[in-house]
Amino acid sequence: MITALALPLALLGLQQGIAERLAGRVPPDVAGIVVDVGTAALARGLPIDPLIQKAIEGSAKGIPSDRVGAAVRLVAAQLDTAAAALGEGGSALRSDTVAIAAGGFALTAGLSGRDVALLAKSGAPIPAMITGLRVAGTLAALGVPGAEAVALVSATLQAGRPASELLALPGRVQAEMGKGVPPAQAAAGLARAVAAQARHGPPPGRGQPARPPAPPVP
Amino acid sequence: MRAETEPADGEIVRAVLAGDRERYAQLVERYRDRYARYAARMLGSIDAAEDAVQDAFVRAYDQLAQCKDPDKFVGWFFLILRNRCFAEQRQRRSLAPLEAAEDVVSADRTDDGTETAERRRALQLALMELTADQREVFVLKHVEGLTYGEIAERLSTSIPSLKMRMHRAYDKLREQLREHT
Amino acid sequence: MSEREFHPLVKQLLDGDLTLADLPAELRAQGEEALQLLAAVDRSLVELPAVPQRVMRALVRVPQRSVWRPWVLAPALAIAAALVVWLGWPASDTAPNSAAVTVRFVLAAPDAHQVSVAGTFNQWDPHATPLVRAGGNGVWSATITLPAGQHQYVFVVDGERWVPDPTAPAVDDGFGRRNSVLTL
Repeated sequence: MITALALPLALLGLQQGIAERLAGRVPPDVAGIVVDVGTAALARGLPIDPLIQKAIEGSAKGIPSDRVGAAVRLVAAQLDTAAAALGEGGSALRSDTVAIAAGGFALTAGLSGRDVALLAKSGAPIPAMITGLRVAGTLAALGVPGAEAVALVSATLQAGRPASELLALPGRVQAEMGKGVPPAQAAAGLARAVAAQARHGPPPGRGQPARPPAPPVP
Repeated sequence: MRAETEPADGEIVRAVLAGDRERYAQLVERYRDRYARYAARMLGSIDAAEDAVQDAFVRAYDQLAQCKDPDKFVGWFFLILRNRCFAEQRQRRSLAPLEAAEDVVSADRTDDGTETAERRRALQLALMELTADQREVFVLKHVEGLTYGEIAERLSTSIPSLKMRMHRAYDKLREQLREHT
Repeated sequence: MSEREFHPLVKQLLDGDLTLADLPAELRAQGEEALQLLAAVDRSLVELPAVPQRVMRALVRVPQRSVWRPWVLAPALAIAAALVVWLGWPASDTAPNSAAVTVRFVLAAPDAHQVSVAGTFNQWDPHATPLVRAGGNGVWSATITLPAGQHQYVFVVDGERWVPDPTAPAVDDGFGRRNSVLTL
């Protein structure tokens, strides 16, 4: 257990904040784990919201405390990996906790640290990068392999497409999958379409984006 | 013969849907070999069959909420496996045609003599030259022992069209075996 | 008739509708050739003892399938049991965290008495966001407003079955089950 006297007041306040969010939603032993793991995570510049979320989720689902604790630690480890990977895109990205959380989600969904690093290096502004990471994770959750998910999101980011178009990518991949196109191929086809439009289509900007041509169905 | 106390398929499916993932292993254990032979004969390789059966079980788990009749899990699972085998064959057509037929002939039949093993291998190779549809009707009838009526019901097709496919298969097999013996 | 093809009577023999004795004398040789063909069929069982363990391990992994083969589900299996519909675009493209999006959750559950959705947006509380029966064919729905961002959720049926959305992207929840993903 943490010795209260050894901690600065701000940190105490933080721990109280964590404990408050967990109160009534998780058993005391889970709360203790989250406070421990969360304090250490915060010291490393990681977001703690995903940890709190995972603990609340596990308790709501009736999962035994030790497994909830393990899941919380796993989330922390993923956030660490995500932060390191994002570091390859610069220190501003590395210290953005929302971006780290998005990267952590991408890892949960099946992307590798290397995939996240590749995305980080695409050089997109941070708000777009955050959406890109979430969308890449969502694509992976559909079954798109990491390489194709990163390629599609990178192509869309580098073409300067608006966030709404990024967010529409999983739905479009799903639509192709519904026709029997495998996820990897669906994503690759969309990436080609994005790249083609970037070369030949109107310059990116405000207003309604033109619909890119449908990818060829094998 | 299943003991009276073992749970029915539907019960296990419903338990898994309720969140008890571990119980899915019971279903997999129960049916892991049921269609292994079908997959092996269709794909011409036990390794490929193992991959296909494994993938199909994982896919069935993901889609379990869409199994309309949990008590008829095994029939629903067969269709998933069947689709998997057909798609696998579409992909493999571009590979070297007969590389995989080697290991299909079961290893424990050496007591029958090499001539029997040779004939079995030759037939399996010949089977791989058929279309997937032709091979399937042959496998379901002559390996799995189903009647035309049972096959028609399972594949939702008609007996006459099955017979037409089968008779075409007989001729192609005859041609293949004559050419290669 | 072509010498390359089996005689129709021999095909009936192969089908099991005739015996060798039923064939006319001139077809006996062909009949025996046909029976030899059938005798070469390998009916030995194939055992796959490793499959259950490999399947259960695969279920624990996240849905990134490293042995994906391109394959097509028969249309009968691709039932849309649930869908989540955007009812509006985010208000601002440049501030992904501040915009609100209206979302409709739908689940087809004709036998259910109670359906709700639990997720990151409501602290996974199965009582917080009930669905109501919409229309007569066992379809339940709820429309709520969510902040733009990353959400995970599952449906809770009759207060006890936690069921991911069958048609949504899914991630491992860290407890051996799956969560559905909603990215706004």
